[in-house]
Amino acid sequence: MSTPALCIRGLRKAFPKVLAVDGVDLEVARGEVFGLLGPNGAGKTTTLEIIEGLTTADAGEIEILGLTWGRQGQEIRSRIGVQLQSTSLFNKITPREALDLYGSYYPRRRNTQELLELVQLVEKADAYHITLSGGQMQRLALALALVNDPELVFLDEPTTGLDPQARRSLWDVVRRMKGEGRTVVLTTHYMDEAEALCDRLAIMDRGQVIATGTPASLIAELAIPSVVELTFEGTAPDPAPFAGRLGQPVERRADLWEIPTPDPKALLPRLLEAAEGAAIPFQQVHIRRATLEDVFLHRTGRSLRE
Amino acid sequence: MMLWRQFASEWRLYSRDRVAMFWTFAFPVLLLLGFGTIFKDDSGPKLAVVRVQSPVPTAIDGALDKALTDLQLKVLTLSKSEAETRWSKGETAAQLEPLGSGGGEGYRLRLNSYLMAQAGATAGLVNQAWLVAQARLNGAPEPNRIPVQVESPGHKRSTNYASFLLPGLLGLNLVSMGLFSVGMVNVSYREKGKFRRLAVTPLPKWIFLLGQVLHRLTVTVIQAAILLLVGRLAFGIQNQGSFLNLLFIMTLGTGCFMAFGFALSGFAETSEGYAAISNLVFFPLMFLSGVYFTLDSAPAWLQHTVAFLPLSPFLRALRAVFNDGAGLTGHGFGLLIVVGWALAAFALAVRRFRWA
Repeated sequence: MSTPALCIRGLRKAFPKVLAVDGVDLEVARGEVFGLLGPNGAGKTTTLEIIEGLTTADAGEIEILGLTWGRQGQEIRSRIGVQLQSTSLFNKITPREALDLYGSYYPRRRNTQELLELVQLVEKADAYHITLSGGQMQRLALALALVNDPELVFLDEPTTGLDPQARRSLWDVVRRMKGEGRTVVLTTHYMDEAEALCDRLAIMDRGQVIATGTPASLIAELAIPSVVELTFEGTAPDPAPFAGRLGQPVERRADLWEIPTPDPKALLPRLLEAAEGAAIPFQQVHIRRATLEDVFLHRTGRSLRE
Repeated sequence: MMLWRQFASEWRLYSRDRVAMFWTFAFPVLLLLGFGTIFKDDSGPKLAVVRVQSPVPTAIDGALDKALTDLQLKVLTLSKSEAETRWSKGETAAQLEPLGSGGGEGYRLRLNSYLMAQAGATAGLVNQAWLVAQARLNGAPEPNRIPVQVESPGHKRSTNYASFLLPGLLGLNLVSMGLFSVGMVNVSYREKGKFRRLAVTPLPKWIFLLGQVLHRLTVTVIQAAILLLVGRLAFGIQNQGSFLNLLFIMTLGTGCFMAFGFALSGFAETSEGYAAISNLVFFPLMFLSGVYFTLDSAPAWLQHTVAFLPLSPFLRALRAVFNDGAGLTGHGFGLLIVVGWALAAFALAVRRFRWA
């Protein structure tokens, strides 16, 4: 148990037109839920696929459960569970059959019925794969990732495209995995998901890890625990003149202005006075805690969703 | 055990695709019934000659027409313009036309250079008819003719066209199954990412491939059994050789051409690409196999190369067993060639096969 679940050094992968992974180092301890957070195209999926053995890296070292791909590939495969970003199965296979079949590839396997119950697919157990909804397909993919009772589970964007309720139920399954002592590595571009699920995070952008830590420590490092938001009807006006008047940076995002501050209580009266003086037509004022979104914005100058 | 599960699962998923399954089994049967019925007449298709009508028919014209019919030629009498239209479309193999206004000034026989086999045989018969017609007109005795009999070569106990067709259908079926269906399915699965999910499991590639081979092999055997049964019920065709030999040859062939399909699927990224690559292999294989024409006049190097292609030794062995009841002894070398190709292709397939 002393070796980490996953240890990566200097991982690099270039595709003909893009440097997808540019020197990534990661270490994931056993039993933790580790998140790779970043916008689309940050290199999360490529990193994961290299770890899973689907893509070969140009350079770098990977140790998975103390094993390496070169000689111990089969043992790695039998001890990890993988959910791909899109799991394409044979159209006319049922969840029960898929779990039985994929389970048969492993030396150790979990009971199919138990897995169906875990991901709440008992009612759809005998329906053809093509007839399942997006959420049901994702839950089946999750069950398939658990079919070999893996020590280490990789989930690539497990909740993308799901409705809020389906996301919550998937989160529950991930928490159950952690409860069972498994290590989970997941990618996401939802900051709320990363905050809700992950013990530790690596924030990725343009093929590089730009920050690592617990969600709380990453936010704390910002030293701006709060953000005051002014919302407008329609697109927010240019904040530059107002920022000058206020003597503090103001950022515009779609229909709102954001003013990061370590002390909202002190800012608020000044802000309202300045806004009234400049006749700013804002609708509402919100004060919120800083999030991972703000961490990303602060470090890259760009929003996660861009 | 793993292999058995893979095999069983292939069958289960296959059996759910009702449309594909129906056509796999029904198509060769329909072909056999169709062609077998069209060519049921044992004499086979007749030779035909287009006869351009003389503007002013004479006695010699009448005598010639009668002689042509007596010699079993199918005579198609057309006006000059109709005959020219047909000729220019290239449908006519031989056209007999009078010089001048009537038969008195002689005839000319035009032969289509694209249809020389047919045209040449027709020319012989037309000239014989000409001699017969002249003799009859002059009251002279008819010239003696060497009797002609039409037979299929080498198939001493087979009696009709369907029995010639059936082994060919068995063979081509399995070639197209290997080259087209197996390879195409694998490429499209890879294209849609269905193999990626398998790639992250410890399932060895060779078990996956072998599971598919075994599945397709059983499909082929069932297909063959259905064809043989229909052939027997509808046309009274019987396998003249041993069923074990037949099974052996078919197994070799299935293995060989499926391995081709697998190997080729390793070279194509998309289904469209695969269609192009497989045709690139299929057509030369077909044309150079001696199925459609003989290569007697081809350059020697080509003939030597062709002798080592797998399709013709395979079809030859299949026909020999099925139609002539031969054993395998005479076909050892040919079958060895098939085995050689099968092994080479399978090795290439395992090497080139990629999950993603």
